[in-house]
Parts: sequence; C-alpha cells; structure tokens
Amino acid sequence: MLRYVIRRILMLIGIIFVISIGSFFLIHLLPGNITAVIEGPGASPENQAKLYKLLGLNRPIYEQYFVWINNILHGNLGTSFISQTSVATTIGNALPIDLEMMFLSQILAFAAAIPMAMRSARKPDGIVDRFFSAGSFTMLSVPPFIVVILLVLFVTYKLGIPHTGPSSYVSLRADWIGNLESMALPAITLALGSFVVYFRVLRSDLIATLQEEFITMARSKGISQRRIMWRHAFRPSSVALLGAAGVNIGGLLAGGFVVQYLLNIPGLGYTLITSINTDDYLLVQGIVLVVSVGVVLINFIFDFIINIVDPRISRE
Amino acid sequence: MSVTPEKLLVVNDLSTTFATAGGPLPAVANVSFDLTRNETIGIVGESGSGKTVLSRTIMGLQPRTNVAVTGSVLLNGNEMVGTAESVKRGLWGTEVAMVFQDPMTSLNPVMRIGKQIDETLRVRLGMSKQDAKARAIELLELVGIPSPSQRYDAFPGQLSGGMRQRVVIAIALACSPKLLMADEPTTGLDVTIQAQILNLLDELKERLHMSVVLVTHDLGVVATRTSRIVVMYAGRIVEIGSTRDVFANHRMPYTRALLESSPKVSNASHTRLITIPGRPPNLLKLTQGCSFAPRCAYASDKCHQERPELQGADQPGHSFACWNPLPTTRGDSAS
Ligand SMILES: Nc1ncnc2c1ncn2[C@@H]1O[C@H](COP(=O)(O)OP(=O)(O)OP(=O)(O)O)[C@@H](O)[C@H]1O
Ligand code: SF4
Ligand SMILES: [Mg+2]
Repeated sequence: MLRYVIRRILMLIGIIFVISIGSFFLIHLLPGNITAVIEGPGASPENQAKLYKLLGLNRPIYEQYFVWINNILHGNLGTSFISQTSVATTIGNALPIDLEMMFLSQILAFAAAIPMAMRSARKPDGIVDRFFSAGSFTMLSVPPFIVVILLVLFVTYKLGIPHTGPSSYVSLRADWIGNLESMALPAITLALGSFVVYFRVLRSDLIATLQEEFITMARSKGISQRRIMWRHAFRPSSVALLGAAGVNIGGLLAGGFVVQYLLNIPGLGYTLITSINTDDYLLVQGIVLVVSVGVVLINFIFDFIINIVDPRISRE
Repeated sequence: MSVTPEKLLVVNDLSTTFATAGGPLPAVANVSFDLTRNETIGIVGESGSGKTVLSRTIMGLQPRTNVAVTGSVLLNGNEMVGTAESVKRGLWGTEVAMVFQDPMTSLNPVMRIGKQIDETLRVRLGMSKQDAKARAIELLELVGIPSPSQRYDAFPGQLSGGMRQRVVIAIALACSPKLLMADEPTTGLDVTIQAQILNLLDELKERLHMSVVLVTHDLGVVATRTSRIVVMYAGRIVEIGSTRDVFANHRMPYTRALLESSPKVSNASHTRLITIPGRPPNLLKLTQGCSFAPRCAYASDKCHQERPELQGADQPGHSFACWNPLPTTRGDSAS
C-alpha cells in the first residue's frame, strides 16, 4: 500500500509538471509580439515593457519557465491587463462557486443513484428496474443544456416562480437561502447527468456482485437483505462507481461551463468563457492551469479512495 | 412445548426445478432420506449431479427467483420448503450452516475476516462488539488458525486456500448449528490440506455434537468418515445405504463406476484414474428411461424405456435404482 501511494504521488508530480509546461507554452508560444497579444488591442508601450520584463522574455526559455513557475508557487498568477485585477483573486472568487455546485450536484446524484440502483438490482428486469432503467436511459440521451432549458421553462411557467436567470446569482456568504435557490437549477442539471451514469454503473455492478458466492454465503448466515446489500454487496460493487465519480467530478470542474454560462453562475467555466471572449490570455492560462491540476488531483484522490474501498486492487 | 424430533433431518420427495431459457431444468428430483443426530451422511456424485443444489435446497438457500421446490424438508421439526425467507433466516446459522465449496469465492474479498465472523455473532446472537471479537478469535483458534488475533484483521486475499476454508468453517460454526452442510469442503485444496480440513471437521463434529452432510465427488473422502452414503446421478438418488454396503455390496453400475474412478479406494496396483466414459445427461433433455443408460455397460431395452425406482436391497436401509443390478457379493459368500 505505502509503495503504491508513493508511486502514485511521484506520478502525480510528473503529471503536474507536464501540465505546467503545457500552460507555460500556452502563452509563451503565442505567435508574434506576445506582449501585444496578451494585452490585447489596448496595449500601451509601457505596459508591454512591464509584461516583457515580468515574463522575462529576454532570458532563455528554461529560465523563463523557472521564473514563471516560481511566481505560481508563490500564488502569483499574474495580473490581467484587461481587468487590471490579479488572476489569482479572480480565480479565488470563482472557484468556490464551482466547488459548491459540484458538491451539491454530487450529493443529489448519489442520494438518488445509490438507493435506486440497490432497488433495481434486487430484482433485475423486474417492474421497478425496468422503470428506473428506461428513465435513466432517456436522460442519458438528453444533453445538459437541453435539460437546463427545460428546467427553466418548467420552473418559470409551470411553477410560476420568476426565472432565476442572469445576474441573479447570490453568494453563499451574503444569503445562504438565496444562494441555494440560485444554485438549485444548475446543481439539479449537473446532478441529472451524473445520476444517470452512477445509477447505471452501480446497478450493473450490484447485479454482478449479487451473483457471487460470498453473497449466498452472507445470506446463509441469516442476516437481513438490507445488511447484505449495504455491508456485503455495496462496497465491492462501488469501484466502477468511484471511477465514474472521479471522471465526472473532474469533468464538472472543466465542463460545467455550459450550465454556468446558460444560468449565469460566475464560476470558473463562466469566467473562462468571458476571458476567452475578451482575449484575457493570462486569465485563460490561470484557469486552464487550475482546472487541469484540479482534475488531476481529483483523479488522484479517487484512485486513493478506490484502493481503500477495494484492497484487492493495490495488491495485484 | 414441541417434542424434539428423533430425526434431525427428514427429506421427503424433494425436487428442485429451475426455470431456464431452455425450459424447466430438474436439478434435483424426488429425493428422500433422513439423518439422525450426530450422524454424518455422505452425498456423492459426479460434477453436475445436483449435490450443491440439493444441499442448498435442504437449507432453503436456493436462488430466490426462477426456481420451484416441491416436497418437504423437516429440519429439527421445521419445514424448510415454501417457508418465507424471514423465517428461514432465524434457522440459518443456529439450526443449519453451510461450508461452501470454494473458499476462494465464498468469503467477502473486501471485508476483514474477523468482521465476517463477528457479523454472525452480533446479528444472530446479539453479542456486544467486544464479546463478538473475543469469540471470533476463539473460533479462529478452534479451527486451527495460527496467531488468530493478528489474522482477525486480515483480508481473505492475504490467506491461503486452506486457511480461508478454515475461516469459512469458523463462520459456519459461529452460532453452533445442529446440522453442518459441508459442500465439497476440500475441492481445490491440495491433498495434505484436504486431509487436515476433513479431520478438523470430524473432530469438531464430535466436540460440538453436530450432524454433518458431507458432499463430495470423491468416494475416498466419505469412506471412513460417514455412516451412510447417498449416491446421486442426474438429480436423483440412485443408491443409498450404509457406507459398508455402498462400498462392498453396491448394486447400481453407476456406483461401481464411481468407485472405480476414485483413486484412493481402487487397488494399489490400479493406480491409474479411471474416469467414467461418456458425459452426464443434459438435464433439459432427460428421457423416459434410466438416465445412466447411455453410459451403462449393462443397459437393456427396458433401461431406455422406463426409469427404475429405488428398491430395497438385502440389507435394511440399502436401496438402489436399477433394472439389471450387479450381483451381491455378500449374498454369495453368505450362502
Ligand atoms: N441457478 C441455477 N439455474 C439453473 N440451473 C442450475 C442452477 N444452479 C445449478 N443448476 C444446474 O443444476 C445442475 C446441478 O448442479 P450442482 O451445482 O448441484 O452440481 P454438483 O453436483 O454440485 O456439481 P459439482 O461437483 O461440480 O459441484 C447442473 O446441471 C447445473 O447446471
Ligand atoms: S437401469 Fe439399466 S441403464 Fe440404468 S444403471 Fe441399471 S442397468 Fe444401467
Ligand atoms: Mg457442487
């Protein structure tokens, strides 16, 4: 186990190194006069000179990289020349929104998927299972942005609640009820996508696990069906589920932007789109870096959890 | 107060039929036998003869769907056929417990073995956490696992096959069952370990006053350990009798074939393993006749047309199902 963890951590460091090089070149390989490109149309000569020095463009490329990475390790992602604010601050404001959205959506997705998968797996192809499976299959074929639009229409016209649309995002610190209201729609939308995957993965693994001899053995001990499900079947059936969750959560960090954009939630995805539209390269670079490292970290964490859940994996 | 029945187990006309895509599959058909207290009975038969299905049906542990069970199983006076799972749950572990065929698959791979023993004690006997742990370690010791308190925290994957089977036995014994169903408890273990496990079962049986149903496809295993033997073929009993009668005085050609295929009981000069030619019948396509007929050297026309019922042999309690039984050697020498 320890050897495994050390190996994974070394790998993690390697991957993050590669990501940092990628992000570095994202800016430094831009064609033409980089400073002009970065600063956009409003570039002034003195700002250009400032940036030239900041980026250390007069030095060899590997030195430039070390200067850059050193800045980043000190939390300095540069200052946007478009908005004149620190990239780190902008990201620091947006990231908690993503984390909250991710957290809410995953809680919802798991809370629905786990009991439903257990119910389905108890009688595969039974009436309940057919209903759940058909429902999840339908959802699988509907992309999230359609779901958002349908949900907004539903909430606005059917429930008569005024559309919680653009610029209605309320921060958690200001008003947590208002915040939950503004987060409900995006969280539900993202939860639906995750739910479908979790339900299907867990259902099929549970069905397979319930065929195993050790389940019959557990049954022969005279313990309840409920206990067999939770204590014996769930854990060995949750490896693929956790794998899917790792990929999904990483995906939400990187890909929640459609929902964020449609519902005006100022998270990272939303900020990324805005920064691309305004040619705010430093901000794009910062977000790409943070998101990539985030995805890698999430995968690392889930890998680790999977190993704790199923000790067979690291032994092999 | 109900009177404790004399027989611990009475199986009467028990049949288990699976509903499969290919039609009804009669895995066990019209099986009847009984078992007294502290007795060990052997169930032998080739692979696929229905031994596992029979022993699970006796416990009421057949799959929950796509299966029909008829007949009767009285286990210490409790009817097991047609009984709700919630009722059977109250009998599993305490009245009857099972040692499964394959210790590599019968333990939960992601649960520490101590927890797997604890669970039964806590759920079924209502023991406290500490008591259960202490008892679990005792049980591990009882089944001969070295340094049991360390092993308590091991995962099944960290133990050898023989050790795992000992754990399975410890779990089965946790609630002191009156009847132990041992379904080929040593298949897949190497020979010295096999003997160890079987001896352990014998010893525990004496110590804990259990009755044992010992399932195996190896007659050598049951020769010295059982008082009676049930021989199964294609889901039916084809011969049943005292161990002596079945070994020395069998009448059914299949029993002989089985004996000859068992290396341990054949002559020392005949070291070669003789397997029974042909394959067991497809249970979905059983004929009217004796199901052994296609492989039987003694088969006559009648064998193909009509199935022989069990009939009594010379000795009480010895029956066989065959139209052309083998001559009785004992009968000859006695006259
Ligand atoms: N759940 C099931 N559904 C359908 N058929 C089954 C099921 N379980 C067992 N069978 C069939 O019942 C027959 C008897 O199987 P069983 O496992 O009892 O044989 P066995 O005597 O225990 O063999 P082995 O020595 O290999 O363990 C086989 O033909 C098997 O395919
Ligand atoms: S009844 Fe016929 S076919 Fe069956 S075992 Fe006896 S002799 Fe063989
Ligand atoms: Mg079997």
